[in-house]
Amino acid sequence: MALNKLDARGLKCPMPIVKAKKALDAMAPGDLLEITATDRGSVTDFQGWVKTNRRAVLKEQRQERDEIGRDLYIHLIERSDV
Amino acid sequence: MADTEPSATPVPAIDVGDLLQAADGGRPILLLDVRNEDEVRAWKLEARRPIDTVYVPYFDFIEDEIASVARVPAGRDVVVLCAQGGSSEMVAGLLNDAGVPARNVRGGMVAYGEYLQPAAIPLDAAEASRFALWQINRRGKGCLSYVVASNGEAVIVDPMKNIEWFEAFAAQHGLRVTRVLDTHIHADHVSGGPALSAKLGVPYSVSAGDGFELRQPVTPLDDGQVLRVGGTGGVTIDVRVMHTPGHTPGSTSYLVGGRYLLTGDTVFVGSVGRPDLGGHVVEWGRMLFTTLTERLAPLADEVLVLPAHYAGVHELGADGVVSGRLGDLRRTVPELQARSADEFIASVRAAVKDPPASYAEIIKVNLGVSSAPIDRITEWELGRNECAASAKRAAALR
Repeated sequence: MALNKLDARGLKCPMPIVKAKKALDAMAPGDLLEITATDRGSVTDFQGWVKTNRRAVLKEQRQERDEIGRDLYIHLIERSDV
Repeated sequence: MADTEPSATPVPAIDVGDLLQAADGGRPILLLDVRNEDEVRAWKLEARRPIDTVYVPYFDFIEDEIASVARVPAGRDVVVLCAQGGSSEMVAGLLNDAGVPARNVRGGMVAYGEYLQPAAIPLDAAEASRFALWQINRRGKGCLSYVVASNGEAVIVDPMKNIEWFEAFAAQHGLRVTRVLDTHIHADHVSGGPALSAKLGVPYSVSAGDGFELRQPVTPLDDGQVLRVGGTGGVTIDVRVMHTPGHTPGSTSYLVGGRYLLTGDTVFVGSVGRPDLGGHVVEWGRMLFTTLTERLAPLADEVLVLPAHYAGVHELGADGVVSGRLGDLRRTVPELQARSADEFIASVRAAVKDPPASYAEIIKVNLGVSSAPIDRITEWELGRNECAASAKRAAALR
């Protein structure tokens, strides 16, 4: 079970989802993908996307702040075996 | 599936202003809204006539392009909308590649929320020979600013943060701005007042009222004071200052030419300003009730109310202006029917829901006690205003 990380900081919609989809396609069932984004819209976008893509399971979403005061939106996704 | 990386080929685009003009005029546009469900529910693009809209989230296009393209009706003038214009550009590109002509709405809902549209208030011939009055409509948010002009001079009331727009408007009409006014400390948007007045070197007035630390440099105005627009010689127009506390303790209305009342958030055309934003709904509610029943009482029914907000396109008149005869509003606005302060406060309490969390931050910026970067302000300002005491009623109408 691998943990993949995707740096989507500074990327605006639709790129965080475009890149997450690409990464997910290359993952094995059970693998995890952690996406770090700065676009606040990514929070509801990932919630919506996992309803469309049944291979993506949203395990966790959390918010942090980086050293230069930017809000970070972190999404943890598991590749299901559907 | 096809490569959904944004392509290098330029995607045809349309500006929000052109889109609204086309939709207001009844052109048969098909709006493809590709935002997610929550965003759509919170805030929709509205024109004066209903827009045919199809909702397909952009991530559906990423997952299954062919099926998603097939959900877009054929043979229509398709314009694609998202939050900031990026995802809609990608989707418009995919549609064009698939042989479905589509244009991207440049800047998305953010651009919609910033767009400003001027409308001249219709005046009678005698008035029109002395002054001009424009209502500047921030369509996406439902915010209204005003420009009062006479003899080459102008006073700007409740300007938005895009002060360059107001400078350009004045220049275009050959007006020299002599004063900038705010009706109150706004909660839903960052005022352009302090920045505009500082840039032009003209007085700025706003009253925060007791209990607030106002750090903006302001020129205080007395109740009943008359501001003359148009200089010392020739034609002028008078703007009378009226203290109308309640929505905020410092709320001020401006009576232009004895007939046009810029009410700020004191009276709207379908409601009144909510008195609960400061957390003192009883105290401010009593103040507002006194303002509505006593301070505004001497004004004639013919006075035209020009508010700082409106609740939706249903409040736009046939002339494209948001306005209401005071006499009509006295009969139709539910909150103006209350017979006692207690009844008034109870009805307001029942009608309002919690304001957006960003309002507290915006108030601090408008008081001058804090500042914020422009992208943060843009984010705070997303969505329609929720300044009316009937926010729930207005939302139900949409």
